[in-house]
Amino acid sequence: MHATTIRSPQALSPVRKSFVRRNLPYLLIAPSVVMLLGLIAYPLLFALKSSFYFWNLQVGPQPLAFVGLDNYVQAINAFDFRAALTNTLILSVVGTATEFSLGLAIALVLLKALPGMNVVRALLILPTTIAPIVVGFLFRYLYDPGGGLVTWVLQSLWLPVPAEGILGSPSTALAAILFVDIWQWTPFFAIVIYASLLAVPDEIIEAARLDRASAWTILMRIKLPLIRRTAIIIVMLRFMQIFNTFDTVLVLTRGGPGTSTRTLGYSLYEQGLVNFNVGLVSAQTWIAVLIVNIIVALYVFFAFRNEEW
Amino acid sequence: MKSRTTFYTALTYAAGLLFLAVFIGPILWFLALAIRSAETAFEMPPQLTFEPTLDAFRHILVDPGTNAPQLVNSLIVAIGAVLLNLPFSVPAAYALSRFKLRGKKNIMLWYLGLLMAPPVAFLIPYFVLITRVGLQGSYLSMVLVLQTLTIPFSVWLMKSFIDEVPAELEEAARVDGARWHTIMWRITLPIVRPGIIVTSMFAFVFAWNNAAFPLVLSSRSTATLPIGTLGYFATSGVTWNYIAAAAVLAMIPPMIIFLVFDRYVVRGLTFGSVKG
Repeated sequence: MHATTIRSPQALSPVRKSFVRRNLPYLLIAPSVVMLLGLIAYPLLFALKSSFYFWNLQVGPQPLAFVGLDNYVQAINAFDFRAALTNTLILSVVGTATEFSLGLAIALVLLKALPGMNVVRALLILPTTIAPIVVGFLFRYLYDPGGGLVTWVLQSLWLPVPAEGILGSPSTALAAILFVDIWQWTPFFAIVIYASLLAVPDEIIEAARLDRASAWTILMRIKLPLIRRTAIIIVMLRFMQIFNTFDTVLVLTRGGPGTSTRTLGYSLYEQGLVNFNVGLVSAQTWIAVLIVNIIVALYVFFAFRNEEW
Repeated sequence: MKSRTTFYTALTYAAGLLFLAVFIGPILWFLALAIRSAETAFEMPPQLTFEPTLDAFRHILVDPGTNAPQLVNSLIVAIGAVLLNLPFSVPAAYALSRFKLRGKKNIMLWYLGLLMAPPVAFLIPYFVLITRVGLQGSYLSMVLVLQTLTIPFSVWLMKSFIDEVPAELEEAARVDGARWHTIMWRITLPIVRPGIIVTSMFAFVFAWNNAAFPLVLSSRSTATLPIGTLGYFATSGVTWNYIAAAAVLAMIPPMIIFLVFDRYVVRGLTFGSVKG
């Protein structure tokens, strides 16, 4: 008899184990990725296919005809869709810039750390916690031409208020929407900037003071550069939020008067859920997805290229 | 010098009061709308004093209690969305925090990118999909679709909590021969339990405040609170007291969560990328 090497189950198991071991991180991530891909790929592919068809649920339950790129051409040429893009851009740029500046100013006041200011800081975040749809109702009440608080305050200050109401006039409606956005999101900026300024070491500031640097120089040259990473992140999150919001507009103005407050989100909502124009809204969806992706990709490329993960 | 300091202190307090007036005032004014009689709601000049009444809350919760089932629905959907998300997001966050893996940065950014996708754009496809599989109007449909928000959010926030658990603890266990799942279940996850709670709370707020998905996926019997407030709007003759009462009801849980978890607010709002 000679010795034969028999593979025992014990000898096998390290091989199997090493497959699990080797792919462990991927196996742990897989369920979430599969779940999300399922939930995201379906709508995107559905929209891609539908975007080449004339399909209106008010006309019939099935797509009527293949129309090639007609929906895309129609979307781009549509005055209201372009107005929506412009408005969304105005809201995101002006809104984010204002919220950042005001937020920074508030953060600097909060940093004075006087007794009681902690309460102010804790309460300040409340607007950000409210559902956008509820914020819409809140401001619809405040803007009411017949007895809203904002209307009354403006009139008391002898400022002109349009007869149609703040939300009813094309000249003030977008500004009113912008104000709502600023009201809800300035606290977010203030709190986050405050938290990251708090983390700036005192010694650095002291050293700069000894060098007779002015408060302004310290702010611009030391504090702001040190919170750069935070700034990048919150501006991006805010941008994301603004592209997603349609509920506030739905409650406040339904995009009107005319197209003056129509946003990208609201435009998609209206084409899809009011007009049931599946073909057209699918084309708009893909245009929106492409725009968001390009902006985010550029942003991530420039903002995160030096980041450690 | 002394008077100058006093002046600045006074100025700072004045600024603090101004912040409260601007950012909290409107919320209180809306709360007042819910507890005042309908006749005084639009009086000019605004009436600060009024006879408080709980009639609006009685109307929406008890008799006829239009919004009471919606309150329950909101709870079911939001809690369901949080519970379903944990088994998906916690292992993923653990893997992203603990292991070296290729393309980690891209995977993290992919999750973040999903949070940026405009949900309105997906409403029609979801409506078609959910109808095809016969789930229209079900809680499950909303809970499922909300995962597009809760999973990416929780992965980011959980990762930041797991990152803080010293790797040495796990090393020590590994040296003692513990296997990875033992380490994950018995060592890391118990330590990050507060992180899991915080993550769940903020994910709950996300799900609770979402109106887009229930707008198309809910039925009359499964409608959530935000949809309920919209319902008042559709009927002619806006009943502002009822809207305000229902809206206040919708505001309370997120506010309580934010005030109780005050320490974690910055972290929650920035998905763990800024430590507060």
